[in-house]
Amino acid sequence: MSADTRVRPALKLSGVTKSFGPIEVLKHLDLEIASGERHAVIGPNGAGKSTLFNLISGIFAPSSGEISLNGRSIGGMAPEQINRAGLARSFQITNIFHRLSVFENLRIGVLARFGVRYGLFRPISGMRRINEETEKVLAQVGLESRGHDLAGDLTYSEQRALEIGMTLTTGADVILLDEPTAGMSREETAEAVELIRAVTVGKTLLMVEHDMSVVFSLCDRVSVLVYGSILATDTPQGVSANHAVQEAYLGQEAA
Amino acid sequence: MMSFRSVLLLATLLALLLAVPPLLDLAWQNALVNVLIASLFALAFNLLVGQAGLLSFGHAAYFGVGAFAALHLMIAIEDGLAFPTPLVPLAGAVVGLVVGLVAGFFATKRSGVYFALVTLAIAELIHALAPRLEGLFGGESGIGSMRMPFAGIVFGSTIEVYYLTLGWVLFCGLGLYLYTLTPFGRLTLALRDNEQRVRFLGYDAHSSKVIVFAISGMVSGVAGSLLAISNETANYSLFATDVSAQVVLQTFVGGSTVFFGPVIGAAIFALFSFLVSDLTRSWVFYQGLIFVLVMLYAPTGIGGAIQHHIRHRRQLDWPALAAPYAAMLFGGLLVAAGIVFATEMVAVMFGEDYARTREAAGGALIPFELFGATWSPTGPSTYLIPLVLLGAGIAILVKVRRRIDAVWAARGEQGSKTQTLATTGGIQ
Amino acid sequence: MEFAIISTLNGVTYGLLLFMVSAGLTLIFGMMGVLNFAHASFYMLGAYVAYAISPIIGFWAALVIAPLFVGLVGMGVERYLLPRVHKHGHAHELLLTFGLALIIEELIKLFFGDFPVNYQMPAELRFSAFTIFGTDYPFYRLFIGGVAVVMFTTLWLLLTRTRTGIVVRAAERLPHMAEALGHNIPLVFMFVFGTGAALAGLAGAVAGAFYPTNPNMGIELGVIVFVVVVVGGLGSLKGSLLASLLIGLFSSFAVGLDWSLASLLSLVGLGD
Repeated sequence: MSADTRVRPALKLSGVTKSFGPIEVLKHLDLEIASGERHAVIGPNGAGKSTLFNLISGIFAPSSGEISLNGRSIGGMAPEQINRAGLARSFQITNIFHRLSVFENLRIGVLARFGVRYGLFRPISGMRRINEETEKVLAQVGLESRGHDLAGDLTYSEQRALEIGMTLTTGADVILLDEPTAGMSREETAEAVELIRAVTVGKTLLMVEHDMSVVFSLCDRVSVLVYGSILATDTPQGVSANHAVQEAYLGQEAA
Repeated sequence: MMSFRSVLLLATLLALLLAVPPLLDLAWQNALVNVLIASLFALAFNLLVGQAGLLSFGHAAYFGVGAFAALHLMIAIEDGLAFPTPLVPLAGAVVGLVVGLVAGFFATKRSGVYFALVTLAIAELIHALAPRLEGLFGGESGIGSMRMPFAGIVFGSTIEVYYLTLGWVLFCGLGLYLYTLTPFGRLTLALRDNEQRVRFLGYDAHSSKVIVFAISGMVSGVAGSLLAISNETANYSLFATDVSAQVVLQTFVGGSTVFFGPVIGAAIFALFSFLVSDLTRSWVFYQGLIFVLVMLYAPTGIGGAIQHHIRHRRQLDWPALAAPYAAMLFGGLLVAAGIVFATEMVAVMFGEDYARTREAAGGALIPFELFGATWSPTGPSTYLIPLVLLGAGIAILVKVRRRIDAVWAARGEQGSKTQTLATTGGIQ
Repeated sequence: MEFAIISTLNGVTYGLLLFMVSAGLTLIFGMMGVLNFAHASFYMLGAYVAYAISPIIGFWAALVIAPLFVGLVGMGVERYLLPRVHKHGHAHELLLTFGLALIIEELIKLFFGDFPVNYQMPAELRFSAFTIFGTDYPFYRLFIGGVAVVMFTTLWLLLTRTRTGIVVRAAERLPHMAEALGHNIPLVFMFVFGTGAALAGLAGAVAGAFYPTNPNMGIELGVIVFVVVVVGGLGSLKGSLLASLLIGLFSSFAVGLDWSLASLLSLVGLGD
């Protein structure tokens, strides 16, 4: 294990299996993400990356095995419980509130962080700390000038930035990003990488990413997922030098 | 947030609501009570439909239990319970809330058309059970009570009932408006847009929907109890499908995407049914027709159309619009006249009275009276008039629509985006 | 024993009738995601049209013409009205058909009055099929069930043995793929909607001559049919057949035993 063993891992999967009927999508998977680490999961289509994210974030319960977040078992919990335990995720397909303003999109998450989830007896406009915090996130993702526009009116890359912003709002310290740069141009990707780097300072990041240049410039370690098993976990350089990985995955690109 | 102008508008409306009714006759006062009750019911319904995106087809259930709760409390007051009559709607609120919590717990487990079906089924169940539960709902004939005096007010006259109703409707309406300004109000909108994301932001979506449902049930219960206070009686027909249907029609014709939209629909329908129900038996038919036309041509309803115009008032070339809008109004009136003529003609010719007179005349197609004139069933003008009215009206509408579209298209690019968003508003 | 046999027969024929209506509803929902609120109105329309034209063209011809007419109305709704609200989502489609149901009901009241009409089966069908435990069992009940069975056999053969049927089933599973393969899916949808409506119309034309024909028959059957399709799992034909039979049997036994939810409630003290 190259990870620092003195520190408790932020996210730990041990022996996690997920099967849908007779099909085992994830097979006895072990994965440890250290606190503060930026970690990428790569792998060919159908390797089980989305299933992995859906297990960690609570869409599915694992068939067997243990998932723990900051030492606390979260396997089989509902998404909202996992979120409150300190994990937030973004989605591959933009998943925002289209008919609310950009500001409102972010404020919903900030409200959850400050524990006023179901506040019914005070106007929202008077909640200064919440509104300031929302402004802060809005600035972090570079959407200050778009705060009052409807989220559905944003451009694609702006919506992706909002998507990332929403995962930040609940104050989770473990962030899961599902292909944050998918469908972006080269410049947009570069901007998104800088954004992700900036907003995940002091947090733990686990991301699914296809663009190897993004992985190289952003991540400390990479896990290669092939047919539901982890083939290797190493630094980006180590992984790209790994023969088994080259054969199974990178081979196609290197050729 | 409200602008100064809308505050002024509301203040004027409030002054009219306070000052005018004493000058009206009893029938009008009663009609206004019904308008107020329908408005509150529609607002409560729209909290669920317009804001949370959950289309209920069984809101009569919560309206009805509110009415019966109020009557039971009124009976207890008659029997000597010391409870202030003006606070009787609290009974409706409590019972509406509790029934809403239970029903909402089950109904909100599903969404979309499933939710609509479950709410329909719950209301139908209560409707089927109510006449058999003598103790609670008084069987087929229902239950009744009297309004008891309180603090010198006897609640004997309609105007007293009117002011009591107005007070409660304003109080609840304001409450529902303030609701939209709270964190939970915003969460309600978020639930409509994307329930899944709400869960990933740490919210329990199901509990949240149950709470919205229960609040809607509570205010519906208040509306129901106001009706009970006004009528001093209620029976199981309050749970019937047409009560649920009415609030759907009113809300969507008025506009579910605008907070006050349902009030417009409720006021128009309640007033019209007061004005025309003596004149025609086809009022429900016209309502259905209006509803379908609104769904087809103005899915955001009257309120949505008004809001759309207000939002673009600065970009629009109003002088250029004036003439086509006037023509559209004229064409609309022609179509309406044609439809009403044809409908009333059918109503007469297929009615029982006409069948009896024909029988007396040996089966001949004898002339009939309609709109103060005599029409012959065999005369061509009888059929030509509605056809010409309809044809001319539709021709004008089709023609004028292109011109209106052109004027709208001429306004800035920015507008079109918000329009598509506004018109896709509503339900999941 | 007598009660059980008669109730079972009644339940099965009523269940088959329910399935004639719910089959179209569930097929349309499965393919297009449209929950057609006006579907039971098509049933009522079938009964009234058959009632209106059978004195002129005879009962048997009316059994053919009424469903065709209702089918055309259904096609018109699918072709000209539903596309207008489609972009606003399924809830708006539901609302539109809800409005149509209201209009159809009111139109029927306008033309035929707000009371039951005297729609009767022809004399040649008015005989008892057999006598069981001293009770004459009406042939017409068996006739209703028979019409339903013939319809389903035809429909099933059409769906499984013809090219069109295969396209319909493909369109149900993967509409975009079927369209990409060059099939005219909008036409298929219109056809299916029309067939579903015609089936409901046929059910109305047949059943209206036995059960009361009145302006409430649509909403009354509609509620039961909605229960059927929900219990059967929306969109599943087999499920709705099973649910139709189940609810048909349940209601015929419940009527026979005078068993009801209310009496059950009174057992636990909620009644009077």
